[in-house]
Formats: sequence, C-alpha cells, structure tokens
Amino acid sequence: MGEWIRFWIVAVLLLSGVLCFVLEVIGIFRFGYVLNRMHASGIGDTMGLLLVVLALMIASGWNFVTLKLLLLILFMWLTSPTSTHFLSLVEMNTNPWLDRHVRRRIEA
Amino acid sequence: MKELFTAWLEGGSDPMESLLDISTQEDQDREARKKVSDEKIRRLRKDPAALQTVERMRKRFRKIYLAVAVVCCIMLSGFLLYTISLMPRYGEENPRAREVVERYVEQGVAETGAINIVTGMILDYRAFDTLGESHVLFTALICVMILLRIDQKNQRSGYEDYYTIRSDTYYDLSREPILPVMGRILLPCILVYGIYILLNGQNSPGGGFSGGAVIGAGMILFSAAFGMKAADRFLSVRLCSILTFVSLAFYSFAKGYVFFMGANGLENHIPKGTPGAVLSGGMILPLDLAVGCVVSVTMFGFYSLFRRGSIGMEVDYGRFSSEESKQSQ
Repeated sequence: MGEWIRFWIVAVLLLSGVLCFVLEVIGIFRFGYVLNRMHASGIGDTMGLLLVVLALMIASGWNFVTLKLLLLILFMWLTSPTSTHFLSLVEMNTNPWLDRHVRRRIEA
Repeated sequence: MKELFTAWLEGGSDPMESLLDISTQEDQDREARKKVSDEKIRRLRKDPAALQTVERMRKRFRKIYLAVAVVCCIMLSGFLLYTISLMPRYGEENPRAREVVERYVEQGVAETGAINIVTGMILDYRAFDTLGESHVLFTALICVMILLRIDQKNQRSGYEDYYTIRSDTYYDLSREPILPVMGRILLPCILVYGIYILLNGQNSPGGGFSGGAVIGAGMILFSAAFGMKAADRFLSVRLCSILTFVSLAFYSFAKGYVFFMGANGLENHIPKGTPGAVLSGGMILPLDLAVGCVVSVTMFGFYSLFRRGSIGMEVDYGRFSSEESKQSQ
C-alpha cells in the first residue's frame, strides 16, 4: 500500500513537472520577443525543475542522493534568476526599439 | 555631466575631442624614425646595383624555400601513406586493436592504478595524445593573444574611441548589487567542486579537462562579479605564461621519463598507491593537475582577451576611467 501511495505521488509530481516543461517549450518557440521568451522559460526553470526533482527525491527515498538533488534545486534557483536578470538588462540597455515591445513607466 | 552630454547630443562640443588625439614624445620619435627609414628606402631604389643584389637574393630565397617546401611535403605524405599501408583494410577486423582493448580492460587497473579506465588510458597509456591536446589549447591561447592583445606597442592606435566603448567602464557589471552576492555564495562551491574533479580524476569520471574547465568558469565568474581589477590581483599575463609553461614542461618531462623507463625495461620508481585512494595512480594525479592548470588558464585567458584585450593589468586604464569618474563627480 505504501509503495502505491509513493508511486502515485511520484507520478503526479512528475507529470505536472513535465507539463510545466511542455508549457515552457511551447512558449519559447511561439513567442516572438526575447523578454516574453524568458518569461516562458522561467516556468520550467523554477516550477518544472522543483516538481521533477521533488518526484525524483521521493522516488529515490531518504539517502545521499536526496541531498544532491536538493543542492541541484538550490543551485538552479540561485543561478537562473541571476542570468535572466542580466539577459534582460542587456536587452534593456542595447535594444534601441525597446518601446515597440515594452511599455515603460518613465520615472519623474 | 548632463550639460556636457546634451551639448554633445546637440552637436555643439565633443568632450572626448582633445582626449583622443594626443601626440606624445614617443609618437614623435616614431615619426622621426619612420622618416629616416623612408629616406633610406628611397635612396636604395635609386641605386641600380643595390637593387640588383636585392633581386638576386630574393630569387635565391624563393628557390630554396620552394625546394624545402617540396621536400617537406613529400616526406610528410610518404610517412602518412606508409602508416596507412600498415592499417587493416576497410571492413576487416583489426586483431591488434582487439588485443589492445582487452589489455586495457583486464589489466588497466593493475598497470595504471586508476579505477577510471578512461583516465588510465588518456593519462597513462596514451599520455602523449593528451599532451598534444594541451598544446593545442596553449597554441590557441597564443593565437588569440597575437590577434587581440593590446600592449604597449598598439595601445595608442587609431582605435581608441572604439576601445573606450568596449572597455569596462562602458557598463560595469560589478556595479550591479546582485552579482557580487551570488558570486560570494556560488564561487567557493564551484572552485571546490572543480578541485574535487581535478583530484578525483583517476577514481571517478573527471580529470584535467573537466576540472580545469570548471575552475576556469569559476574564475570567469569571479572577474565578472567582482570586477576585472580584483581578478588582476591574482592573475597577470606573466603568471599565466609561467603557469602554462611549467605545466606543459612538467608534463613532457614526467611522461617522457615514464615512457623511457618503460620502453627500456627499467624499474619505474613512482609508487602506484592503492587503487581508489586520492593519492593513487602514479603520475596520473600530477598530470591531471598540470592539464587542469593549462585548461583553466586558457579559458580565463580567452574570456579576458576577448573582453578587454589583455590578461591582467597591462594597459593603463586609469586615463579613461579617471576622466569619467571626474566628470561624474
């Protein structure tokens, strides 16, 4: 019985994580503008990763691999927002036609 | 600052105008020397005897050059064709190659002391192959240096305005508050992980190339997070060249010694250690460290050269940055 509960938890988490990744991929390929694409890719980088790795952690049980997977989440959640931040910064600083895509609030 | 900028935008005055065309004593000296050499060339052109001598020497040089080139090409292609004639025909099984594979798999651990057979192969049986790869990286770094390095000779070229745009002061990443914090958190982990890969190459997947790449990436993150000035404090072009040279020379001599002893049936004095320990595998660990040094220096050198044209503090950045900071104050 316990094995079945674990299996279903893992299956649900894994499937919802894969759904997040599918949404991410569709967004990356369907959106035309870089900031929109980054927004879409954020879904997989945060939620999809969390759900999939959580499923793997539950599937592997409580051992040393769990710690490694936890570190994986930690590293991805630290690095991917940083790189996204700098990507968007470069886009803002270098695109001369930014106002065609983005509505900015000009601070007085 | 703002008035200056608006004035420049309107087309009134250029604040960089007087800064860009500076003629120093050095430039004047160079001009004078060029004038003297031009004069010499002009005088030579008028002298028919000298012209004939030059023409004769040029013809002779071309003949010798052609002969040497042809001989080299024939010898090289002969070697290659001879080697190919020794190989088995296409589609046939190579009995010698199978022997080699069996030997590596069955006796690799006993002979090299490395649990990871791949590392045992690339750093023990076929160590000269890895040496060649390290030299390829070294050569690539030298080529990039030749093309991109800004040193004392071409510092005052006509590309200074372009250089100002590309310099660190155009947009300084280290002014962002987010990157130094992330660097402080991530850098120790990345560097420790890289060193772990380097030291554990003979026991688990890893080794010189992957560990060196991780350490090089850590160094790139360091220079991006804390500014190039902080990176200049530990890595200069001199240290880079010394590190690369010492690594490659150590690799060549150590592996040459081992091969020489092995080929002549002499006893090899390097202890193998127990397989699985960190200090095991004979020469594999020091060779891994040497390769890791070369790879990390090459990676950081590429980044540094492509970003600003130098490794370490070679060029006087102070001029532009101090001007800008004065203006902003």
